[in-house]
Order: sequence, then structure tokens, then C-alpha cells
Amino acid sequence: MSHATPGRISLDPRFAPPFPQAAEQMLRNPQLRKNVGHAIDVIQAKRGKLVVEKADWQELRSAASAIRFHVLDNLGAYLEQFEARCTAAGGHVHWAADAAEARQIILDLLRQENATEVIKIKTMTSAEIQLNPFLQAAGINAYETDLAEIILQLGDEEPSHIVVPALHINRSQVREIFARAMGLKNLSSEPKELTNAARTYLRKKFLTVPAAISGANFLVAETGTVAIVESEGNGRMCLTLPQTMISLVGIEKVLPRFQDLEVMLQLLARSAVGERMNPYTSLWTGVTPGDGPQNFHVVLLDNGRSRILAKNKERQTLKCIRCAACMNSCPVYRQTGGHAYGSVYPGPIGAILTPQLMRMKYARTLPYASSLCGACYEVCPVKINIPEVLLELRSQVVNQERKQAGRFFDLMYLGLRIANLIFATAWGFHAAQRMGRVGLRFFTRKDGWIHALPSIGAKWTQTRDLRGLPKQTFHQWWATRTKEGK
Amino acid sequence: MSQPVQSRQLILDRIHAATPSAAGDATQLADAYAALPRAYIRRGSLSVPARVELMIQRLREYDAEVVECAPAELADTITAQLAASGRHLFVAPPGAPPDWMVTSAWKITGLEWTLDHGLDLSEIEKAEGVVTAATCGIADSGTIVLHHSATEGRRVMTLLPDWYLCILRASQIVETLPEYFSRCQQPPALATYISGPSATADIEMTRIKGVHGPRTLVVIVVRDDK
Repeated sequence: MSHATPGRISLDPRFAPPFPQAAEQMLRNPQLRKNVGHAIDVIQAKRGKLVVEKADWQELRSAASAIRFHVLDNLGAYLEQFEARCTAAGGHVHWAADAAEARQIILDLLRQENATEVIKIKTMTSAEIQLNPFLQAAGINAYETDLAEIILQLGDEEPSHIVVPALHINRSQVREIFARAMGLKNLSSEPKELTNAARTYLRKKFLTVPAAISGANFLVAETGTVAIVESEGNGRMCLTLPQTMISLVGIEKVLPRFQDLEVMLQLLARSAVGERMNPYTSLWTGVTPGDGPQNFHVVLLDNGRSRILAKNKERQTLKCIRCAACMNSCPVYRQTGGHAYGSVYPGPIGAILTPQLMRMKYARTLPYASSLCGACYEVCPVKINIPEVLLELRSQVVNQERKQAGRFFDLMYLGLRIANLIFATAWGFHAAQRMGRVGLRFFTRKDGWIHALPSIGAKWTQTRDLRGLPKQTFHQWWATRTKEGK
Repeated sequence: MSQPVQSRQLILDRIHAATPSAAGDATQLADAYAALPRAYIRRGSLSVPARVELMIQRLREYDAEVVECAPAELADTITAQLAASGRHLFVAPPGAPPDWMVTSAWKITGLEWTLDHGLDLSEIEKAEGVVTAATCGIADSGTIVLHHSATEGRRVMTLLPDWYLCILRASQIVETLPEYFSRCQQPPALATYISGPSATADIEMTRIKGVHGPRTLVVIVVRDDK
């Protein structure tokens, strides 16, 4: 099968190549960079206009951040409250400690219903636990219903963004995928016609498939309500037409009260797609006789989240409401697109979330996939200080690597250890300065610049010049000045 | 086979170990919640006509069609919209007032009304259009709120038919989202917030109206504020 994006990279962090290697491969694909750049430009322009319009944007961010921190501080109480209210309203709540358990719970529920097919609303948690291939192997066909997800599923492609997952694929590539998979030879590449093809393709599935799987944007502890925001109406189809509905939700997604939605909903659509509000927001509470699924399950997924919760600096990662504003604003993501991150969670949030979900065993190059420019922190609607977490994770990576025996004699580590010894005392530092001054004099040209250094120093001078050291240090200058009584 | 009960305890134990500063009891939790900063705008500042005007403007930006009428003109306005749609098979929620339907059924030949007293999906799917009331309108984002009462219908009613006529009274329109939430002292079990017709921008960020939900949204704003 041909892929719209050649050179497929696994989005399973255990098998994905290191970020620099994957990024290089992506940078060599001009079509992908053009597609990603265009999509990001459109979203950013729309978002910019709507955020300026909101006079209380910063106050909303502060409130959202405080609410999310408060939830994390009291997560146990709010989850138990959600469970009690959802159950009282006729829903069933399941707890999954890890991905394997979540997959098994969902499979068991589908088997109880004798379902051989299931329709899906776009959900990141399901991608996180790799649910589709698991169901497939168990003989259950899962049909994605979000337009972008259909494009990916039919084209055997991987998502590259958490809100607009097919943004790396352009219209003629979509046409190719649809024409082949739906057998529509005369399909044009007009987005309207492509969208219509998807509508027709899915209509029958909506009306006949007996079970649906979703994620959730929010859970409300006070009422036991589940909230999903979407644009197309595929979500509403999935959550009203089938008899059985299963929502797979990260444990961190809960909000204290119904009213807290007034903060989150004002931030989410503006941050995610640059709209004042997404076309459809659905709220439901357990089961309503005569309206929608009569068999409703929530699967609460831990899968590493409680471990992140235990860490002081990293815990803020769990405030995330999955709006993708961080990746849309990221200069690195803009160049590489999402696949380079080797995870279903790309961009800055992926760079901090993925290695943590992987217990820092995999994806250890991701904390370095950032210039630390801070744009992600600035746009984050719940004020996650992503650069702070990136730095924390980087230090953990370094500590891990240092513990590995072979690293002791690594040139860089050896150098840094020596530097550490030298810089620990004033006399050592001054002596090193003096030696460096003498040594560098050989390389300093008449214009005061160093144009070429030998050996390891060449790594710097290959691409830029280095200014020669001045005649005296600030310390020396200050000492002379004091002596002269100035 | 999984051990759900054990996992529940396991996860809660991990969470409790990870959150030493959690509130000790419900009162402490409520106090901590009450202390959260909420300096954002709760109440709008627009006059009633300006608020209604903003709602209409926002709806139009979403490509919704908006028509205004006086309360007494409602039946005629509905009739005109139905006639203009060129469609004939309509459904309405069980609590729809008869005067929405009587005039149109009498004036438009071939027009058929079916009330949803437990219709099958296939019957709703066959309908070419639907007419419902709403709970609230939020001007700031041009959002129509449905709580799925007897006049607003089951969720599927406003989903399957391709053409949707929503009747919103001006007195139901608030300016900000928090104003709507402050009206919800009893949170609804079901709610749908609609901001423009179904849409997607998944192909090259080109906004396309109508993927799965109704492709046409018509809103009649009943000026009961004048």
C-alpha cells in the first residue's frame, strides 16, 4: 500500500527512532512541511484574532489553571464522586490500571454485546492504548468516524496532531485515499466533495453498528456528567444512535462542578481551532430512558498518570486539556510535523507527556525536542509551564545516562566532570582562564575573531565564528580600577 | 481476566499516596474549591437589543440563516421558512405547540408533520427537516443550548434530519457563557450546545459545512423583548 507520507515512523515510543533522527527524515519531505506549515498558519491566524477579542483571556487562563491544579490535588475525592454520581444515573464505571487492562475491559464489554463492529469518536486515550489493532486481532472491526481519522484509517496513515490529526495530508492525497478505499474513481479533490464522500460512507455505519467507543473532554464530579466537544456531528451520531457506549477517559480529566465548564469551554475551542465555540458540545449523565445508549460505560484509565501525579514539577503535565495550542505555536513542531515525535502525543505536550508515560525508559530524546523558547507556555490555556518540565526531564535523562557505567569515560562527560572540578574553586577557575587565554591566542586572527578551532572545538567554528577573549577579564579590570582608587 | 475491583483500589491508593495535600473531608474540599480565583467576566454589559443583535451576528458568521419575527408572527414565519426550504417531510418533538404546525400544514400542499412519540431511527432519518425550541442562546459565541425537553426533542431529532429550524426567543438570550451556567442551578442530565451547523476543517483547514449533522441551520429569533 502506498503512503501519502513516505518513510513511516512508528508512533509507539518503544520502537520509534530518536527524535533527531526522525526529525531529519521529516525535514527532507518538502510536501509534508508545506502541508503542516499551511495548516498551522491558518489555525494560528484564527486563534490570534479570537484571543485578542477576549478581554478576560488571562483571567480565564488563571481560573482554568487553578481549577485543574485543585482537581489534581484532590483527584481521589473527585473521581470517587464522579463514580458515585455516574453510577446513580445508570452508568457503569470501570478502573484500568494500565493499557492492557483497559483494552481487556473494553473487549469484554463488546463481547457481552456480541458486537463484531464498533464505531469510534476520535479519542487520544484509545490511540494511547493502541486499541484498534487489539480489537482487530480479537475479530472486532473498529471504524473511525472523525473525517481526519477516516483519512488516516483508510490510508493506513498515522496521526500527526492531536486535534487535526491529518493536517500533514493535502486534498489530492485525501482524494487518492478515498478513491481507492471507497471505490470512487471519479472523485474530485474538492474538500466539499471529499467530505460528502465520507458522509455517505459512514451514514449506514451510524445507523446499524450497535456499539460506540469515545474518549471524553471532561468528566464532571458533581453530576457524573461526561462532556465531548466536536465539530462534525460524528460524535453526536456515535453517542446517541448505538445501544452501547464506552468512554475511555484518563483519570485526570475530571472537573469539580458543572459550572467549571464555563471556564474550560471558553478556552478550549479558541485554543484548539480558533473558534469561539466548536459546532457541537454534548453533555450526558449516565443513561436517559428513550434517548441514546441504554448501556453506558466509563473506563477510567491510569496508565502511568498517578505516577506523574506524585512528582512535584511534572504533575502540571496532567492539567492538559488536549487543545494542541502548544504544538501549533511550536517552532520545532512546525518544521518537523508530528510523526518525528514517535508518539501519538506530539509537540511540546508530547515531549513532556510521552517520556513520563514511558517511565523515562523510552522517548528520552523528546525533552530535547524544544528550543525552550516558551511559546507553548504562553499559549497554554491551563498554564502548563512546559519549559520547566522539559528542563526537569532533561536533568533526569542526564542523571540516568550518567549512572550507566559506560558513560564514565565518554568524552563529554569526562570533560564536564573536569570542568566541574576546575570551576569549583576560584583559583582553579582563574588558572584555567589564564591557560585558555594563552591557548586561544594561537587561533585568534587580527580581526579579533577565532575562525577555526581544531578537534572538538571545530564543532563550534564550523558554522560560526568565536570572538577572541579580551585582554583582561572583568575581575582583573575591577581589581586594577579599585587599586587606582576610582 | 482483569480484576476491576482490585485495580480501583490500586489506582485510588496510588492517587492518595501522590496527593498528600488533598482536602481531609468534604467541608475542606468545598472551602478549597470556593477559594479558587475566578476573576474572569461573569456578566455581560450589553443592552438587550445589542445582545440580541450580537447573537444574530454570530449565528450568521457561522453560516446559519437567521430570521426575526414578533411573537404574533411566529406561525407565519415558520410557514415561510418551511416553504422556502423546498422540503415536505418534517418531524417535531412531542411537546411542539400545535400553532407551529397548523398554519404550515394548511398553507403548504404536500407538507407532512410527524410528532416524535417514540419514532424509529429510520422514520427520523426519512424526515427532511426538524423544528424545535431551545433552552438558551449565548450571544458571545452564537451558541444555541438544548436541554432536550419535550419542546426540544430527543438528541437524535436535531441530528439526523438535514435541515434544522430552531426557534429561539430573545428573552432566552444571554450575553456570556457564565450567565448561562448561572441559570443552571439544576444542571441538566442531557445538553447539546450548537454553534453553527456541523462543520469540518480537516482537509487543508478548509471549512466545509455539514458533515454528519444538519447541513442547514435556520434560527427564528422571536422578538419577545420588544
